[in-house]
Amino acid sequence: MARDYDHLFKLLIIGDSGVGKSSLLLRFADNTFSGNYITTIGVDFKIRTILLNGERVKLQIWDTAGQERFRTITSTYYRGTHGVIVVYDVSSGESFANVKRWLHEIEQNCDVVNRILVGNKDDMPDRKVVLTEDAQRFASQMGIQLFETSAKDNKNVEEMFNAITQQVLLTKKEQKEQASNLNDTITVGKGRKPTKKSKCC
Amino acid sequence: MESLIANLQAQLPSGHRIVTISFSLKHSFSLEAGLVQEWIRTNRLLVLVENSTESALLIYIVSKNVADEFSLERTIPLDTEFKCEIDTASANIVTTDIFLKLSRKKVHLLFEMLPGFKANKFVDEVVKASEVANKKRAPPNFSWLEVYNPQLVWESTTGSDSEQPTSAATELQPSSQNCHDAIPAHLNHKSDSELSSPDVTAHRSSIATGGATPIAARESVVRYQMALRETAYTDLRQISIFLGTYNVNGQPPTSGLADWLSVDKDPPDIYAVGFQELDLSKEAFLFNETPREEEWLRAVIRGLHPKGKYRKVKLVRLVGMMLIVFIQEKHWAYVRGVASEFVGTGLMGKMGNKGGVAIRLDLHNSSLCFVNSHLAAHTEEVERRNQDYLDICNRLVFSTTFPSKAIKDHDQVFWIGDLNYRLSGDLDLLRVKDLLDQSNYQALLQYDQFRAQHAARKIFVGYQEGPILFRPSYKYDPGTDNWDTSEKNRAPAWCDRCLWKGDNVQFKEYRSHPGLRMSDHKPVSCLLECGVKIIDTVRYRRIYEEVMKKLDKLENEFLPQVSVDSTEINFGNVAFNEGATKILTVANTGQVPVQYEFIKKHRDSKYCKPWLACEPYTGFLMPGDNSYITLEILVDKRTAWSLNSGLDELYDILVLHLDGGKDIFITVSGNYQKSCFGCSIEALIQMHQPIAQVAPETVCQLEKAAYPSIDPGNDSDSKQPVLAVPKELWFLLDELYRRGMDTPGLFEQPGLSTEIAAIRKTLDESLPDTLPGSVHSVAESLLIFLETLKEPIIPFSLTQKALDGCGAFPSCKTVYSCLPLSHQHVFKHIISFLKEVLLHSSKNGLDAKTLVALFGSALIRLPPPNYPLGPSISLSLNQPHLDRKRCMFIHHFLVNDLDD
Repeated sequence: MARDYDHLFKLLIIGDSGVGKSSLLLRFADNTFSGNYITTIGVDFKIRTILLNGERVKLQIWDTAGQERFRTITSTYYRGTHGVIVVYDVSSGESFANVKRWLHEIEQNCDVVNRILVGNKDDMPDRKVVLTEDAQRFASQMGIQLFETSAKDNKNVEEMFNAITQQVLLTKKEQKEQASNLNDTITVGKGRKPTKKSKCC
Repeated sequence: MESLIANLQAQLPSGHRIVTISFSLKHSFSLEAGLVQEWIRTNRLLVLVENSTESALLIYIVSKNVADEFSLERTIPLDTEFKCEIDTASANIVTTDIFLKLSRKKVHLLFEMLPGFKANKFVDEVVKASEVANKKRAPPNFSWLEVYNPQLVWESTTGSDSEQPTSAATELQPSSQNCHDAIPAHLNHKSDSELSSPDVTAHRSSIATGGATPIAARESVVRYQMALRETAYTDLRQISIFLGTYNVNGQPPTSGLADWLSVDKDPPDIYAVGFQELDLSKEAFLFNETPREEEWLRAVIRGLHPKGKYRKVKLVRLVGMMLIVFIQEKHWAYVRGVASEFVGTGLMGKMGNKGGVAIRLDLHNSSLCFVNSHLAAHTEEVERRNQDYLDICNRLVFSTTFPSKAIKDHDQVFWIGDLNYRLSGDLDLLRVKDLLDQSNYQALLQYDQFRAQHAARKIFVGYQEGPILFRPSYKYDPGTDNWDTSEKNRAPAWCDRCLWKGDNVQFKEYRSHPGLRMSDHKPVSCLLECGVKIIDTVRYRRIYEEVMKKLDKLENEFLPQVSVDSTEINFGNVAFNEGATKILTVANTGQVPVQYEFIKKHRDSKYCKPWLACEPYTGFLMPGDNSYITLEILVDKRTAWSLNSGLDELYDILVLHLDGGKDIFITVSGNYQKSCFGCSIEALIQMHQPIAQVAPETVCQLEKAAYPSIDPGNDSDSKQPVLAVPKELWFLLDELYRRGMDTPGLFEQPGLSTEIAAIRKTLDESLPDTLPGSVHSVAESLLIFLETLKEPIIPFSLTQKALDGCGAFPSCKTVYSCLPLSHQHVFKHIISFLKEVLLHSSKNGLDAKTLVALFGSALIRLPPPNYPLGPSISLSLNQPHLDRKRCMFIHHFLVNDLDD
């Protein structure tokens, strides 16, 4: 009997405290939203299985505490992550300014990892301070895909998770290809060895 | 378990014997119950009971709140409709659960069990009992289950056809009023501990271990769910099926078969063509080889409807029985899972002269099974034929499919063949032929053995047949349409039949084909319109996603969940050596048992800082239960200095990890009141003020400066004039000089901890004239003060030398001269104090031996294990030896004069 999924990926959601990381996860995994702010003190995960190009991808999505004081601890959870979702709040310039720090955090703690930039709380136009153009420019500079979402209005949430998953899936397939190419090379090398030896003798 | 069985047994009526029981978790999937209900899992107790030759499963609900209370939920008779399947995960996936799928008619139940001997035994017994039921020839009679029946117990096995239930079955309809009284619905078993044993539910958590250890069981649940919702994502497409059966009496195909196979206007989508007596030769019988197979196959292919383009799905042959299934090319892409099987029921019950051959396939989302059988011959052999039929049903299993399927496991079954049922023998042959001449088939069919057996529900239960409006297919003089004139003079009979079972089958045609005269039988055919389930991919995807989402939701809900009453624990002011505790309440708010543990962070060697301890630091919590974890903070001599020096602070983040779930961060903090206890001599002699009045940063600075190796950059050069000895030491000694010299039991009698704390507080906060507390408390404070110094008076670097040189005063003196100046002062001070004490020994009762023993361990301490001194210190000294050496060292100074 087969497993009930074709791929299993670990995603990580990071970003400043209060930008809506848990809300995004709750929206995506349970399709619920609560306006009550409960700060995450720790790391929690939920799973969701999605169909992507006909393949069943099981996502284990880790939501982390955004508070500064937990940063050293949360950084230990980056290990083994396939994709990182960096979230800021479009109504908070500070949270956007901190994105750089978060990206740096990823570099420090992960090897090759897919990233996606998410401007959450994109549901109150008059409160929006991080302009889409600015965010887009920054994202392009960093070579990251940008999504503006609202966990509250269920806007772009599904799309954003699909996009990062798509990226991760693509990376996995590329790596597989590379690995198989590498294997070929090794086989060739192995084949040569005996001939060299015989020449020596 | 045994006592539970005994208890249960005592509640059952006599004659009902419990075979085995098992605990499990039930997944309710009843469609009617609504979406939420569908996914509830609850504990169940399964009990297999037998009554004479019949068995049934009793399913008890295990009370959620009272572990030893059950109520009977339903009973399932193990009859021929009962099915039991096991779903286990593939070998490469770690799983702990077995899924037991029980179904009977429209009741589908899924039970989750812990694997192991008990589960195996239980399943074994159930399978055994259901096999017995399948082999049983007597009609089932589950009236004995009535006594249990709370709702619905036993309904007759009426199929979808119009057959009347037998009287036996009608009698068994439950009368739901009186049965409740017959047996108590709640059975109490107070003595049994098995039920409350956590392992019944403990492995529930495995379903929720998301990610790393996926639940393979999900796959089977998904399949099950999708099967239940089939109608929601499938449409019916009508396809026509042509069933043809022909007993060819060993003859080769000498004429075309078109008159049999392609008499209809439109080409059928599927052909199932069956032959019997294909070859009557010994070779065919013994070696199952015959050239006729190929000959007839070709003849059939030639005879197929010219307007259709066909592909052979499969051919299966056992001796003379052959079945070929064709399908129109356009449907081929949707055919899956083709398999064939055969069962011999002839000589010795297994030879292939009689029996059945079958082909199965999945077309789109429907499973079809075609059976061609040749049952026992001769008018009087009705029972033999019945038995052949039952044998084929029981023994024919397609084992190449997964899971393996029997005939009954298909959506639609088409059964053709020479069933060999005759007109019952009491009918006069002349009368038969007379009625036939009048084409009065209805009168004759009243004598049809098949119809009689079918009506008695002995055979082909649930199967239907079209109306017979054609002459009997048997027996003719070969080459003619004349009834048998041979010496056997067989009576005509409808030996050759076509039957079907399943939903969405519409009858079209049923006929014989007298134009084919090769055999003593005429071929018979039946045309059906069948609804085949076709998956609508869009709806399938949507429903699949729905199912997945629900499972995900369930999986998320079944993740371990706890709540803690606080994630920030502040101990407030914390003083040296004064422990404090706080309680952290961990409540299992989830649905599964939780294993929790405080785990290490990063490169830490322990889950918390050394001044903190959690008791217990790991534990197991059942849903709804609470755990009270005591957090104890205590700054003692091990940790005081690092807090004084600022290398550490009373701040820690604990990671409370749930096995297979989330982590919660608990922040523990406190405000450490810096104390002169746990400082270094070097720092203390620079503090002219009580330590409480010195800025904490200054304390840190002084302490770090005292150990440049720890903080090399912090070499303070603006040194104040220093005190000769730490003022705190001076106060302590002075107090003892003044009050204690003549006190009996000085240093031998313990102090009071409250007084010691008060003395410490006084020293920390003031420059006191006198110290509070008794002499004994002051004396003990002195010893503690010395013991808690960051480095002992004889620094760790000199410990070895001091111990080595304890044999003679000169070498001890050398050690003394090596001491840092501040340490020399302190040492000298203490030695003169001790000498003074000894002068008063007549009053205070102390002798040198006791005194050196007390002070030896305070002045000469072994370095802590991680002290950066390297291997020069050998710690192999055993304790008495070490103590003796320390005493000797100090003793030299008491009996000699340092200034000599």
